[in-house]
Amino acid sequence: MLQLFKLLGNKRLFIMLIGLVAFIAIMGFTLGPRASLSWPEKFVKDTVGFVQSVFYKPAAYIAGFFEDVRNMKAVYEENEELRRAVAQYSRESANYNTIKAKYERLRDNLRFTQNQKNRDKYDYRTAEVIAVNSDPNNRTLVVNLGERDGIRPNMSVTTVDGMVGIVSNVSNFTSTVKLLTTMDAQDPNPQPISVTAIGKEDKTFGIVETYDEKTNTLLMTRVAEDDPIAEGDKIISSGAGGVIPPGLIIGTVDSVQISQFGQSRTATITPAAKFEDWRYVIIVVTPEEPK
Amino acid sequence: MMARKQILILLLFVLFILQGTVFFWLTPSSLQLQIYPNFVLVAIFFVSIYYHRHTGLVLGLIFGMLHDIVYYGEMIGTYSFAMGISAYLLGLVFKAPRAPLPMMMTIVILGSLLFDSTLFGIYKVFRLNPTSYNWSLLHHMLPNLLVHFAFALAIYVPVRKQLELIAKYQRRKTAS
Repeated sequence: MLQLFKLLGNKRLFIMLIGLVAFIAIMGFTLGPRASLSWPEKFVKDTVGFVQSVFYKPAAYIAGFFEDVRNMKAVYEENEELRRAVAQYSRESANYNTIKAKYERLRDNLRFTQNQKNRDKYDYRTAEVIAVNSDPNNRTLVVNLGERDGIRPNMSVTTVDGMVGIVSNVSNFTSTVKLLTTMDAQDPNPQPISVTAIGKEDKTFGIVETYDEKTNTLLMTRVAEDDPIAEGDKIISSGAGGVIPPGLIIGTVDSVQISQFGQSRTATITPAAKFEDWRYVIIVVTPEEPK
Repeated sequence: MMARKQILILLLFVLFILQGTVFFWLTPSSLQLQIYPNFVLVAIFFVSIYYHRHTGLVLGLIFGMLHDIVYYGEMIGTYSFAMGISAYLLGLVFKAPRAPLPMMMTIVILGSLLFDSTLFGIYKVFRLNPTSYNWSLLHHMLPNLLVHFAFALAIYVPVRKQLELIAKYQRRKTAS
């Protein structure tokens, strides 16, 4: 007993123990879902974010210049391809406009409330990346849009290629994006995405909630046995669940297997986004839910 | 003479900024998913060895917290804890203010592994990390260690000189 008191009397050990307990408390407290950041966190994030943006942009510009020189040869082919794509786009946009007008008329006839009508009005805001954390346990980007620009936590983030992550925290002028590569079904606060395949929207359904770092693929689970999903299908978010808007590109199906317990199937998906050389991301701003 | 200390801390902050911005663009695209160098940590190891381990501990806690808040994805406190404890422990174990180059490099290697393992352990405890230790060691920690080693070699001469100047000044002040 005397020995124990002597041990507690050791000041250094005592301080270290208190420090350890304090850190575990901080980690546990910040791990759960939080409504918003406290003001010291916002202040640090905004100040550092400003300095980071000063450094990131010129570096990206110089790196981009060398990449452009390397890609010079591919420009001609790319131009041909784009010309074909634009021709098809203008043909389809006429079709789209008629269908949209018809859809809105029908919605009026069915007496949708203003709230219901606004629900699928998404705003796409382009944000510049100002810093990257490539720690595999906690892959995040810092982007230069924040609370003042109407960004809120849990909004989806995409690039031109496909979905890349979810806004995890917002300060006044910057926000942090948690990348899909940290997704895991075992997470204390998982972020599942309900998905479907292009062209089979009413038949295919699955949930993406795991990223396999070893093979760089996403895992789509809970696919029913009679699902018509096949290799090469383009997978998009279905919008079921309400958090993630429909129509965001996730990737293409690599292979379909029977799941571990044989009740359903799982599909491995190659993500469409590349998760490297970050320049711009697009944040999908969802309409604010009325209280 | 006193301004030297403040300038060094300011340089540490600049290093923290560069690590998330310019160094990201210097790494080739194929390696961007593998390495996540923490240069601030290497600089803090130097402080911990050539100046004092308590300064290393405090700097580790502060800059770790800065990293945690700016890149806040899942939780706050992991980097702060891991950087503080690894800087302090190394300073405690290697109490040699005149550590020669080979010894300092050994310290950086051990410290880099200690830091990455602590980080891995914390994320494992909170079930945020599905990979196994062996895989992570081969694909993240060892490539990281090489980058840390190269960085330590590059900054060894100037940083040691500055820190020893500060330490000498401090000693003379307490003696008089």
